Amino acid sequence: MEDEIHPLLHPAAPSGASFTALLGLPPSRAVELLHEPTFPSDPALVDRAARFSVFAAASSAQSTEVSPPPPLELAKKRKDAGSGNGKAKIKKGKPAEEDTDGENKLPYVHVRARRGQATDSHSLAERARREKINARMKLLQELVPGCSKISGTALVLDEIINHVQYLQRQVEYLSMRLAAVNPRIDFSGLDNFITSTTTECGRLTIGNTKANSELDPQQQQPVWSEVGVSDANQMNNSTSSKRPQSQLPQNQLQQFWHVDLLNAQNHLQPSIWAQDEVAGSTVPLLVFDRVNPVEPSIQSNQQLKMEL
Amino acid sequence: MDQFMDRKNYTHRNPNPNYTPNYNSMQSLRFIQALARINRAAPKPTTPSRRTKQIRRAAYASMAYTSGSRHNWSRALLIRLRQRQRLRSLRLLTVRRRVRIVTPAMSRPEEPARAETLRRLVPGGKSMEYCNLLEETADYMQCLRSQVQLMQSLVDAFSS
Repeated sequence: MEDEIHPLLHPAAPSGASFTALLGLPPSRAVELLHEPTFPSDPALVDRAARFSVFAAASSAQSTEVSPPPPLELAKKRKDAGSGNGKAKIKKGKPAEEDTDGENKLPYVHVRARRGQATDSHSLAERARREKINARMKLLQELVPGCSKISGTALVLDEIINHVQYLQRQVEYLSMRLAAVNPRIDFSGLDNFITSTTTECGRLTIGNTKANSELDPQQQQPVWSEVGVSDANQMNNSTSSKRPQSQLPQNQLQQFWHVDLLNAQNHLQPSIWAQDEVAGSTVPLLVFDRVNPVEPSIQSNQQLKMEL
Repeated sequence: MDQFMDRKNYTHRNPNPNYTPNYNSMQSLRFIQALARINRAAPKPTTPSRRTKQIRRAAYASMAYTSGSRHNWSRALLIRLRQRQRLRSLRLLTVRRRVRIVTPAMSRPEEPARAETLRRLVPGGKSMEYCNLLEETADYMQCLRSQVQLMQSLVDAFSS
C-alpha cells in the first residue's frame, strides 16, 4: 500500500528537495511546512485511518488489505470518532465522489474531517489550497527579517514586497559601486584562479594557467594550488606569494568561499601574481565558506604529485 | 566556459569526486566571470552608467543561470535576457509569443490586492497562480540576497 500512496502523497518531493536545499532551512522543517496539507506526518496514520474508518463495520477479511470499500461516502461523512488523532487531516489522493464501485481498487485515502467542517471535495480542495498558501506565507515570513512579529496577511505581504524592492535596489546600488571601482581591477587574474575546479572543502584550486590565457581554462597539466586569503592590509604589505593561512572566524565566513593562497612551493605563483596585479589594486579577497573544515594540506600535495 | 558550470561535468574533470558544487559557489563563479568579461571587453570611453547596466545585467544573469530551469522566475529572467541580447545585436527577431493563460487580476478573488505588485516584482510572475507565486518569491528573495551579499563583499574587498 505504501507505494501506492507514496507517489500521491509526495507528488512534489523532488522540487521540494531542491527548494529546501536552496533555502537552507532544516529540510525536515521546511518540507513539513511545504507539504503540511498534503501528507500526514506519519504514514502509520494512513494505515490506521484506512483500517478503522469503515472497515470495522465491513468484513473483517478486508481488514488486512487497504482497498477502499464501496461506501466511501460513509468514511467521508464520519466525524472524528475512532481514531486516536482527533484532528488528523489527510488529503485525499483523488477527490472521491459519488460513484465508487467496490471493484475498483483506487488508491483513495480516507479523509478525516475536522469537527464542524464540510467534507465535500470542493471545500476539501479549497482547504488544502488555503493551507498550502498559509504554509508558504509562513516560510516567507521567516525569510524576511523582522516579519515574524507581524500578524495579518496584508501587512506581511507589504513587508515582503518592501523587502524584495529593497533587495533589487541594493543590486542596483552595488552594481553602480562596482562599476565605479571596476576599471582599476583586473578581474582576469581572479577569474583564472577561480575557473578551475573547486574542492569540496570550499577551497579553490587553480589550474596552471599560462600567463594570459583567460579564455581557455582547460589546461593540459593543471597544478593544483590554493589561492589564499588574508585581509587587504596583508596583501598590500607583502607581494610575495607566501601568505599565512588565515582562518577567519566562523561567523564571518557565512556566505563566502575561503580562498586560500598556497605557500611558495608553487613556483608559478609569483608569475601569475606579477602579471595580474594592477598597481594599487589588490586582488580581491573573497572569503567563501560554506561547507567544510579545511583539509590538511598534505592531501593537496598528494594531488599535486598525482597531477604532475 | 559554460561547461564548467554544469554539475555533471564536474565528475570527470575534478580530481575530488566527492565535490558537489553548491549554489553560492556557482553563482559567485559566474558573476566573477561575467565581471571579468565586462572588464576585458570594455573600451576606455565606456561611461559608468553603461557599465552599471552591464554589471546589473550580469548580476541577474548569474542568478538566473545558477538557478537554471528549476524555477519559473529564472526561466522568465533567462528569456528576457536573451530577448534583450538579440535586440541589441540587431538581429531580426521572430518572436514567437508563448501563449500563456493569464487570468486578469479581477478574476482571482481569493488573493489579496497586493499580489499584483508582487507579480510585477518577481520575473515571470504574471502568469503564475498565487500559490506558486509565493513559492517563487521565496526562492527569488533567497537568490537576490545571496547575490547582494556577494556584490557587497566584492565592493568591500575592492574599496578597502
